[in-house]
Order: sequence, then structure tokens, then C-alpha cells
Amino acid sequence: MLRGTQDSLANSLIKQLPIATAFINSKLEVVHASDRWISDFDFQDKMVVGKNLFQLFPDIRNSWKKDLRKVITRGTNITGIECFLDQNGDEHWFNWTNSPWYDQNRKIIGVIIQTEDITNEIFDSAKMEKLEILLNDKSEISRIGSWQYDAVRKDLTWCEITREIHEVPADYTPNIETAISFYKEGYSRNTIAMAVDQAMNEGKPWNEKLQLVTAKGNEIWVIAAGKPIFKDDKFLGLIGTFQDVTKDIISQRKNEEQERQFQSIFNSSYQFTGILDLDGTFLQINETALNFAEIKESDVVGKKFWDAYWWPIPDMVRDGLKNVVKAAAGGEVIRSEIVVLDKNQEKVPVDFSLKPIFDKKKQVTSLLAEGRMIKEMVVAREKLKVSEKKFRALFELSPIAKILSDFDTGEILEINSAFTEVLGIDKEEAASLNYTNIVPNTRSLKRNQIKEILEKEGTFGPLEHELVRKNGVSFKASLSGSLVEIKNGKRLLWTAAQDLTEVKRKEKQINEERQLLRTLIDNLPLNVYIKDLDSKKLLVNKAEMDYCGIKEHADIIGRSDSDFYDDTSVKISREEDLKVMSTLTPILGKETINIKKDGRLTTFLTSKIPLIGDDGKAKGLIGISMDISDLKRKEKELQDLISVTSVQNKQLINFAHIVSHNLRSHSANFSMLLEFLVNETDESEKEKLVKMLTEASDNLLETLDNLNEVVAISTNVNLKKKPVNLVKKIAAVEQNLAAFLKKNNAQILNEIPHDTQVKVVPAYLDSVLMNFITNAVKYKDPQRDPVVKLSLEQCNDYTVLSITDNGLGIDLEKYGDKLFGMYKTFHENPDARGIGLYITKNQVEAMNGKITVSSEPGKGTTFNIHFNEKN
Amino acid sequence: MKKIRAISIIDDDPITVFGIKKMLHSIEASQDIITYGNGKEALDGIKLRIEEGSGVPEVIFLDINMPIMDGWQFLEEFIALPLKERIRINIVTSSIDPADKQNWERFKTRTHHLLDYKNKPIRRSDIAEITRVA
Repeated sequence: MLRGTQDSLANSLIKQLPIATAFINSKLEVVHASDRWISDFDFQDKMVVGKNLFQLFPDIRNSWKKDLRKVITRGTNITGIECFLDQNGDEHWFNWTNSPWYDQNRKIIGVIIQTEDITNEIFDSAKMEKLEILLNDKSEISRIGSWQYDAVRKDLTWCEITREIHEVPADYTPNIETAISFYKEGYSRNTIAMAVDQAMNEGKPWNEKLQLVTAKGNEIWVIAAGKPIFKDDKFLGLIGTFQDVTKDIISQRKNEEQERQFQSIFNSSYQFTGILDLDGTFLQINETALNFAEIKESDVVGKKFWDAYWWPIPDMVRDGLKNVVKAAAGGEVIRSEIVVLDKNQEKVPVDFSLKPIFDKKKQVTSLLAEGRMIKEMVVAREKLKVSEKKFRALFELSPIAKILSDFDTGEILEINSAFTEVLGIDKEEAASLNYTNIVPNTRSLKRNQIKEILEKEGTFGPLEHELVRKNGVSFKASLSGSLVEIKNGKRLLWTAAQDLTEVKRKEKQINEERQLLRTLIDNLPLNVYIKDLDSKKLLVNKAEMDYCGIKEHADIIGRSDSDFYDDTSVKISREEDLKVMSTLTPILGKETINIKKDGRLTTFLTSKIPLIGDDGKAKGLIGISMDISDLKRKEKELQDLISVTSVQNKQLINFAHIVSHNLRSHSANFSMLLEFLVNETDESEKEKLVKMLTEASDNLLETLDNLNEVVAISTNVNLKKKPVNLVKKIAAVEQNLAAFLKKNNAQILNEIPHDTQVKVVPAYLDSVLMNFITNAVKYKDPQRDPVVKLSLEQCNDYTVLSITDNGLGIDLEKYGDKLFGMYKTFHENPDARGIGLYITKNQVEAMNGKITVSSEPGKGTTFNIHFNEKN
Repeated sequence: MKKIRAISIIDDDPITVFGIKKMLHSIEASQDIITYGNGKEALDGIKLRIEEGSGVPEVIFLDINMPIMDGWQFLEEFIALPLKERIRINIVTSSIDPADKQNWERFKTRTHHLLDYKNKPIRRSDIAEITRVA
């Protein structure tokens, strides 16, 4: 300590003091200051000497002033730690000692202030302290152990705390190697080894948080610090500290873990979670909620709960939400189902709750808002409702009796209407009954057996069992059941009972109906068949089987028309089938001709009706055919008969007219002549009239003869035809006409083969030949000699005899329709009677033949006589 | 009764011709009575008369059923002749065939000549009535 002199020596001495030192007089003015002090307090550019401390340290605290005063007045040493902010605002910590400054008279003239910059130390310890405070509010100030290493003597010494940290006995002597080996193998040991090495060789200090394994095998965390000591570049040794921070590390880790867990739970929860203050301001919101609405944290935090994005109708909802917040702040738990908007403004149902969070003093500190999306739940609930409804409907409408009973007590819980119908027991009555009343024991099966099966399998049946109706009548039913376990351990039994008597009765009925139908279609006088899409037969009745010549029904199934009918019939039928099945329009009552493989021809009246499947398309057809061959044959006969009759009728009418005309004309003449005769007085005139009457009488007789001849032909329709040699007949006629032919210089050219046979009535053939040959000569062309050519031709069922002449010819346009009429003459030939061709035609027609004619006036005429060879 | 220039009878039955002629004479209908045996003869004769300028008979008795050319065929040709005069044609037939009566109806509509239809026999009482100039 220096006395309060101010000589230059002392001054320079003070200046060079290694410890920052300032001499302050009683007025608290700086008298001396070491360079170190000036630099430590950053006063290089200021004149410090002579300045008042309060000028230099404007922020100086009153406590320091007091301290300084105490030193000056009482002469006590005061030490302390002080913080000081430099010009850059950096913190500087100083360990200070205020000692009294004595003059030669031991009078206190001021204060010697010595400061030591402990900023680093303070920072280190402050760090630790902060850490401790952070990690463990109950933590005591950690014990810090120290150690030093004398490199010269290779001597490592541990203080007591260090030894305790290492859990070694008091007499334990460590060395560098053993010390390093306490560090946990791996990262910790490597780190410390490297740090020590670097400290020795490069002079670097270290400060690491590492793991140790104590002598007792406990793993601990320590902050190990060390620094090398050099003197004149010579490495003298190391000093360092140890601090056990295990508890802190663990608790910090725990806190970190908890925080991490909380955050991850907070954020990854499927729930929307937010924390509100008591005024309803968002303090925190989780990511789920933000993602749900696609908004940022800043959109929510700091804002009011009721201003948030999620609420659909702000004005209406806002007041409600305000009230809810108020209620929660008052300690109530609010919970309700609400609707919020998602990012697409779609409404989503949410199970919302707002809960107060209490502190230890049971005061509400904040509010926890939670929302759980219940869209799925709502949907599931709807589904459940629907399926419940469906189940109800199924249960009620099922035609099978159903019973829900308590498995253990046998109590009847529910029955459906089918049950009431089948057993005659209604719901009220059932409630008072027990399962054992309805399902009694039988000889074949005890109820206990069912129970056993149910216990083991969970289901039973279907099995036949006797049930008892209300009226005491027991009946056979098919029973099945299943055991349903519900949460509270109650076991329910579903039993389904189907009345087998009913089933059997229906089966019988169906069989009877089937039998009836089969009998019906088999005995129908119709061919009935069902064909598939390929026109293969699926079902036929007996008539169709008979028609196809099949004995067994099975033999026809799957066979097609081509197995029975000829190709044309098959083709036509198949085309019909396809048309019916593609247009779905039935063919009704169509007349079809079916030819079987053996050539047998059958006429059917066929109907084909499409069979339409569930898909609306044809799956086949039903065919119904009625054999109308006999009808057709009779119809044909009738047609023939009608046509013959009508021809005959026409002939008869014609004949009647001829007869009436001819007879009338004669009678008219008689009448007229007789009238004259009566009134005639002149005898010669009378004689003339009588002569005329005689002529008229002769004419009448002749007419009657002619008519008789015609009637004879017409009435002898059934005259027997027989084969006649045509050439011989012609020769005979030629013979008879020999004189006539010779007189007319006529020539006959017979070109007919000698053996030609025709089926005729011989007398008619004579008459026909005679008539045509005579005519051919009679109506000869006066310019040339008559030539008559006879030739023969086969035309279908007819043998055609052609008689061609070279005579006058007939104008067929004029006379064609009258050529074969009675009393028609066309040439001014006095022999023409107008009866020959009429009779000839009648004779040919009587033999089922016909006559055609071609002629050209001036050239000649050809008559073609068709002889019917068939009938 | 006004004398008729000429009367023509077309019939192949000589008894009918005789009868009509006798009745016409009895009423002194005309001096000039011409008879034809069939339609063709009549047509040729009438055409000749037109050429000679002796005039068409004012009254014609016409049979239907005749050889060569019957009454209808004759009528067909006759109404085609370019005659201004209205000729009375009495169709006289023993036919009771309704087809003949229909034919008459048809012809009536096609010509300006007077067509009458009588069944044989012609009665003496009828003859004056049907022997008038049309």
C-alpha cells in the first residue's frame, strides 16, 4: 500500500501497477490511475486524473457512493462485484476492492480502488446459473471442483470436490491418463484427450460438457474446463474445473423432451387446439387448426377468438362465442356440436369444447379451445340410422318369424310380425312368455343342446324343430339362430323360425300347378315348344314330341330344327325366330309349311312369342303351332269344288238363257202366227200361216233336239274316261268323212305318232274330231283346196292336239268371245247352225280339258284341244 | 198417221220378219219396207241408201241374236254413221238375259237416236205406237 504522496516516482509506479488501480481523494476525484485501470474502464481518450468519479461513472449507484464514504470515514475494506457497460454497450464485470488511502499520518485521505476484470468468469458462472435456473428452479448452486497439473513434476492434484465428483476416496491419486480414462468412452473421452493435447501444444483452453463414468460406475455429466499455464513460452501445467451438471442436463433434457412432446402433440393432434387468454385472445394455435383453414399462425395469434376464420356467420356467431369465452373464463366447461368452415368454405361439423385452465391456486389462467372433426362420426351416425331403419324394415317385413331373446334368462325381447302370424302370439303376449315356451324340448332335440352349440359356435341351425302355436298345436319349423354379445356382458339370441308346414304346402302346391300345367300343355291339340337364343328346344309338349317322332322328353332337349326338318323349313323357321327375338314382336297365327326330313308336308298356324329376360332382352321364345294340314286339304277341295261349281253355274245360267231365248223365240212366233190365223179371213193367207206354223213347230223340235244333246253332255260329267289310240280314232273319222273330203278336194296331214294314247270319253273324241275336221273343210278359202294338219304336243298335264287349217280364218277380235257360243255363226254359210263348236267345247270341258284358238282371216285357223291326262 | 218414208226390219228369223211386215201393212205404215237377214246386210244396205240419196229408214226393227253381225255390233256401227236425222230403232228380241237390257241402257246414253226395247212377240196393238217417226 502506498501512502498518499504525489511524487512522480510514485505516479509512474502507480501507472504501471499490474492491477487496475485508481486513487480517489475524499472528494471522490481521481488522483492516480493505473494504465490498466484506464484501459479496463475504457478511459484511454479521457483525462481521468482530477475528474470526479461521478463524472466518469454517471450511472454510479448510490450503494457504491455509500461504500466509498464508508471506506473514507471508517477505514474499512470493502469488496464487491460491479457491472459496467462500455462504450459499445458490452457488459464488463469487475471484482473490486475499496481500501482506505492513508497519508503519512495514518489519516485517510481517500480510497484506493482496485478492480479485476472478471467478466469472463462472471459470464461463465452466469451462464451456468442461468442454465441451472432454467433447468431446475430448485437447484442449488452447483459445486465446482478444481484441479491442477504440474507438468514439471507430472503431478495431477484434484481438490476434494473433484474427487467427490469422481467418487474416488480421499487418498486417491490421479494422473493424466487415469483422469482421461474417467471420461466415457467415445465422444467424451476423445474430446477431452484432444482438448488436453491442444492445450499442451497450442496453448488452447477448453470448456466442454462431457460425460464421465465415476469410480462407482455412475454416468454423470460434467462441464470440464481447463487452460494451460505458460511462462516464457514454457509449458508449466494445466489448471481446470469440474462441475457436475448431471441433474441439470437430465432435467433440461426432460424439459426439452416434454416441450417437444407437447409441441408435437399440440401440433400433430387431429384435434384443433388453441390456447386463449381470459379475454378470448389466441395465445397459441396448433398446426391442425391452421392447416384445416389454410391460414397462418399470424392470422390467428393475437386476434380474438370470435374473429377467427372458422366461423360461418360472423355476426350471429360472434356474440355467442363471446358469451362462451366469458363462461369459460368463469370456470365453466363448454361443449357443443358446431359447424365450422374449412379451407374451401365447406361446412364441417365439429365437436367443440372450451375449458378453463387453472393454476395451483385454482385461478383460471387461460382457456383451452378444442375442436374435433366429427364429419365421419356424423356420417357414420347417419349410416347407422339408415341401417337401423333397414334392419327394422327387414326385421318387420321378413316373412320368417324372428325372435330376439335374452340368451341367459330366456326373456323375449322382441318379435316381428311374421312371428305373430306364424305362432299366433302378439307382441304383448310374447313379452310375458319365455323362450322355453316357444321352443320346447322335443324328443329328438333338447333345448340344452341348442344352448351348448350356441355357446361353442355362436350360431345354430338351420334344423327342424317343433314349435308350439298359441292354440297349442305344434308344428315343424326350420330353426336357426345366432348369439349376439353386447357390451355389458348381456348375451342376446336371434332366432329365426320358418314354418315348414307352409313351405311344404307351397312346394306341394307348386308341384301340383306344375303337373297341371304339364298335363294341360301335353294335352293341347297344339304343338308347344320353348326355344333358346340358338333356336334349340328347351321344352316341348307331347304333340310336338309326337310330331318330331320322339318318345322321351329328354331326347328333344337341346336339339334344333335341323334335326327334324328339311333345310328350307329350318332356314325359314330360324329367320322367324331371329326376327321375333330381335324385335321382341310376336308372330301370331302365321300360316307356315313345314317339311320333315322324310318329305312329309304339314301346314301349321304358328305363333311365336318372345321370352323376355330380366335385362329386357329376349332369352328365347315360346312357339305354338296348330296343324291345319287337314283343314288346308279340305279348303283346297272346297276351293276346287267352288270353282267347278261356279263354272258349271255359269254354264247353266248361260244355258238357261239360251234355252229360254230359243224357246221364247219359237213360242213368240207361234203366238204371233196364231193371232194372225185367228183374225185371217183370206183362205190362201190362212193356208200360208198354217204352213209357217208347221215350219215353226219343226224348228222348235230341232231346237229341243240340240238342247237335249247339250244337256246330255252336261249331265254326263262323270262319264268314264279311258285311254284311246288317237291316230286310230282320226283314221276312223277320216273314213266316215271320206266322201265329204273327196268332194271338197281336202287333204288331211296327220303328224301324230302312231302309238299316241289319250284319256278321253271315246264318243266325245269322235264328235270333237268330226266337228273340227268338218269345220276346217266347211269354212275353206274358196281360192285354195283345204289342207288340215293334225299335230301333237305335251304341255304339263295336258296332251295338246292341234288342228290347223288354211281356211277363211276368223276375226278373233270381233268374234273371239262368241266363237264357242250357241247359235253363233260367223260365215255366210247356209249350213252353219251355230251349234257345233258349242257342243264341242262342252264335250272337251266335260273331259276336264279346254280349247284355245288362234286365227288370222284369210290364212287359216288353229284349234288346240287340251286333253287332261291327270283327271 | 203420217206416212213413213222407209221402214227396215233386221232379223234372221223369217217368221218374225213376216209377222212384223204383216202388222206394218195392216196399219199402212209405209210403202217402203226393207228386210235384212243380219246386221252386216243391214249396214251395207243402209250405207248404199245413203250413197244413193234415198235416205235412211226412219224406223228400224232390230233383232239381237243374229249370225255374222248381231244387233249390238250393228248398233255400234250405225250410231257411228254421220246422221243428222233422229232414227227410231226398236230392239225386238226374245232374250230375257239382263245383260241385253243393260246393253240397251248403255247405248241409249251414247246416241241421239231413239232406242226402244221390246220383247217378242210384238203385239198388233203395240205396232202403231212404235212405228212413228222419232
